[in-house]
Amino acid sequence: MTELQAGQGAQTLAPPRIDARPQRYRDVLIALVAFALLALLPFIFGSKQLLDFVIRCAAYGLFATSLNLLVGYTGLISFGHGMFFGLGAYGFGLMMQKTGVPIPVAFVATLAITCVVAVVIGAICVRLKEIYFAFVTLAFQMLIHSTILSWQSLTGGDQGLRGGIPRPPFLGIDLSNHLHLYITSCALLVIGLFLMRQIAQSPFGYTLRMIRDNATRASFIGIDVWRAKLTIFVLAALFAATGGMIMALFVSGAYPEFAYWTISGEGIFINMLGGVTTFLGPMVGTVLLLILNDTVTRLTEYHGIVLGVVILFFAIGLRKGLMDFVVEWFAQRRGEASG
Amino acid sequence: MTRTRKPGISRRSTLALMGAGAVTFAAPWVARAQAKTIKIGMPTILSGRVAQLGTSSRNAVMLEVEKVNAAGGLAGRQIEMVIRDSKGQPQEAARIARELVNTDGCEMLLDGEASSGSFAVHEVARDLGVLCIHTCSEASSLTADPKQHIPNAFRCVRQGIHDSIVGAGYAAGIAKAKGLKKWATCSPDYAYGRDTTGEFVLYLKKFAPDVEVISESWPKLFQPDYTEVVTKILQAKPQALYSCLWGGDLTSYIDQANIYALFTQMEVFAVNMADYTALTVVKNLPKGIHSGDRYIKTFPATPENAAWGDAYKAKYNEYPTNWSWQNATAVMFLNEAVKKANSTDGKKVAEVLTGLTIKCPFGADGTVTMRADDHTLVGYAIGWGTTIPQEPYVPDVKAGDWKTIFELEAEWKKSKGYT
Repeated sequence: MTELQAGQGAQTLAPPRIDARPQRYRDVLIALVAFALLALLPFIFGSKQLLDFVIRCAAYGLFATSLNLLVGYTGLISFGHGMFFGLGAYGFGLMMQKTGVPIPVAFVATLAITCVVAVVIGAICVRLKEIYFAFVTLAFQMLIHSTILSWQSLTGGDQGLRGGIPRPPFLGIDLSNHLHLYITSCALLVIGLFLMRQIAQSPFGYTLRMIRDNATRASFIGIDVWRAKLTIFVLAALFAATGGMIMALFVSGAYPEFAYWTISGEGIFINMLGGVTTFLGPMVGTVLLLILNDTVTRLTEYHGIVLGVVILFFAIGLRKGLMDFVVEWFAQRRGEASG
Repeated sequence: MTRTRKPGISRRSTLALMGAGAVTFAAPWVARAQAKTIKIGMPTILSGRVAQLGTSSRNAVMLEVEKVNAAGGLAGRQIEMVIRDSKGQPQEAARIARELVNTDGCEMLLDGEASSGSFAVHEVARDLGVLCIHTCSEASSLTADPKQHIPNAFRCVRQGIHDSIVGAGYAAGIAKAKGLKKWATCSPDYAYGRDTTGEFVLYLKKFAPDVEVISESWPKLFQPDYTEVVTKILQAKPQALYSCLWGGDLTSYIDQANIYALFTQMEVFAVNMADYTALTVVKNLPKGIHSGDRYIKTFPATPENAAWGDAYKAKYNEYPTNWSWQNATAVMFLNEAVKKANSTDGKKVAEVLTGLTIKCPFGADGTVTMRADDHTLVGYAIGWGTTIPQEPYVPDVKAGDWKTIFELEAEWKKSKGYT
C-alpha cells in the first residue's frame, strides 16, 4: 500500500469528529475558578512565604507539565528539558538588562528565541529514539550550560546575571511589587496549563499518544511523525521557557544552575512523583516536591536521605505517581460499585 | 458575737490569688519582651562538594555567637541563629533568604553562599532592605561594581584581586631572584579561575616585565583526572607554575602531579594551598610550594590568632577554614556595630558598619576595616609563604603591603570602569 493509499484509508476509517467545545468550556471555567482562588489567597492568608511558594510552583509547574507533554504524551524522555528553562531565564534577564524594552516585548522576544533554538535542537534530537534521544538532549543541555559558563562577557559566567532584573511597570502592572508578581505568575501558570491542556486534548494531542504507543503504525496511516514530534518539542520548550522567566523574576537574576542537568532531573522526578498519565500529575508532583523540599530542609540538613526514601517509596512501593494511583483507585472503586 | 467564717475563699485571698496568677503568667512575657532574642538568618552550603566549607562557616559563627550571648547579646538581646542549607543552588539560596526574613522573623542575614548564590541573596537584600553581610563570596564584582552597591549589604570576605596583587608581588620577587622567566598556568575553567589567573599574570608582568607565559591549562571544575594537564605542563618545561585550583581539585591535582615528580622540576605557586582543608588532605605534601594564606593559625603570628585557631580546634576537633575566619569576623563586626549604634535596627547598624574599624585576630595590624566607599573588608592578614609537610605547614608567611594593594586595586577598578 502506498503512503497515498494509506492516507485515503485513514480518512475513510476516521471516526466521526467529537465536538470538543463542551469540554473546552469546562476547562475555561476550571481555569477561571482556579485563577480566582489563587488571586484570593493573599487576601485570606497574607503570608509572604505562601506567595513565594505559589510563584515557585508556577515556575516549576509550567516546566514539569511541559516536560510531561514530551514524556507522558509523546514518549520522548528528555533529559535536557532544563536548557529551555535556563534559556527563558537568561533570554528574559538579558533582554531586560541590556535593551530596556517593555516587559511584554521581552517576554515575546524570549519565546521567539527559545522557539528558534528549540527548532534547531529538536530537528536533530527527535529523529533519535529512546535512550539516544535522552542522551543527545542531555548533551545539548550541557552544551548550553557550558556556553553560559564560558561566555562571561554576556552571561557573567558562573556568577550569573548580576545587578538585578529591571522591571519597568507596564499596563499598570509593577512586577517589583510582590503582589503584582504573584498575580502575574498565577495568570501565566493558569494560561499555560490551559493551553497545554488544549494541546493534549486536541486531535494533535491524540496523534502524540499514538506516536508514543506505536510510531510505526502512526507513520503508516500518513502521520509525519518527525514533524509532530518536533512541533511538541518546540511547544514544550516555550512553556518551559515561560517557567524560567517566572523564576528569573522571582530571584531577580539568572544563574547557570537553571540550565544544568539537575533542573532536568528535578523535572523528571516531579513527573515520577505526580504521575505521567494524568494531565495534572506534574502539577501535583510540583506542589508535593516543593512542600517536601521546604519542610525537610527546615527540619534537617540530611534532606537528601528523606527525599531519597520518598523516591524509593514512589518508585518501588507505588510503582507510579501519586495522581496515577489516585485515579486508578477511584476507577477501581467505581468498578466495584457498578460490579 | 462570734464571727463565723464563711465557707469558701474570701475576697481578699481571691484578689491575692488573682494577682499572683497574673504575675505568674505575665512574668515570662515581660521577661521575654525585655530580652527578646534577635534572630539572624544564614543560608549556606551544608550538602554537596563544598559542604565542609559551609559547615566550617556555621561552626565559626556559632563559636562567636556563643561569646556574644555570654557577654549579654546584641544590645541586650540574645542571638538565635537560623541556619539552612541552600545546597549551593542560587534559587534555593534566594528562597531560603526570603523565608528567613519573611517567615522566621530574622532581622539580619549572614550570607554564607559562594559565587552565584551570593548574588541571588544580594538581590533578596536589595528587595527586602534587610541588613546583609556576605561572608563567603570572593568574587570582586560583588562589591567593586557600583551597580551592585546597596546601603544595607556588606562583604566580610577576602577578594581575588587582593590575592592576585600580593601573590604577584611575592612571585615577582622570587622570579627575579631565581631567574624564573618561563611560566605556565593551570586554573579551573570558570569565572573565578580565569579572572584570578588573568589578574595574577597582569601584575606579575608589571612587577617582573621579562616574565612570559608559555603554557595555559584550564581543567574543568571538579575534574577527576589531571593526567593530560600535568603532562602538557611537563612538556612545555616552564620554570614556574601558577595555579588557583582549590579544595578537592587542588589536592587531587597535587597527588596526581606528584606521580610525575612535577614539583621537583619547577617552582609552584598555588594561591589556595595554605588552607587546612587542603594541607591535611594531600597524601605527600611537597616541600616548598608557594601559597597565599587562606587560614593558618600562625599568620598573623599573634597570640589572639593562635588562641582562636586552638579554640576552634578544641570545640570542633578540626582546624578552621578560610570561610571560618570570615564568618567569625562578620559576627565580630555585627557585635561592635550594634554596641556603637546602641540598637539592633538594621539601618542604624548599617550606618555604623560603613567605614567601621574593629579589633580582630585576623587583621594585618590587629584590626580590620569595613571600607566605606564599597562596603568591603580591608586590612585583613594577607601574605604568601612556602609549605612544609608537617605543622605548622607554612612556617614563614611574608605579609603583603596594603598600601600597594590599595593603589593597584584603585587602578584595577578604573580599568574595569567601576570608578
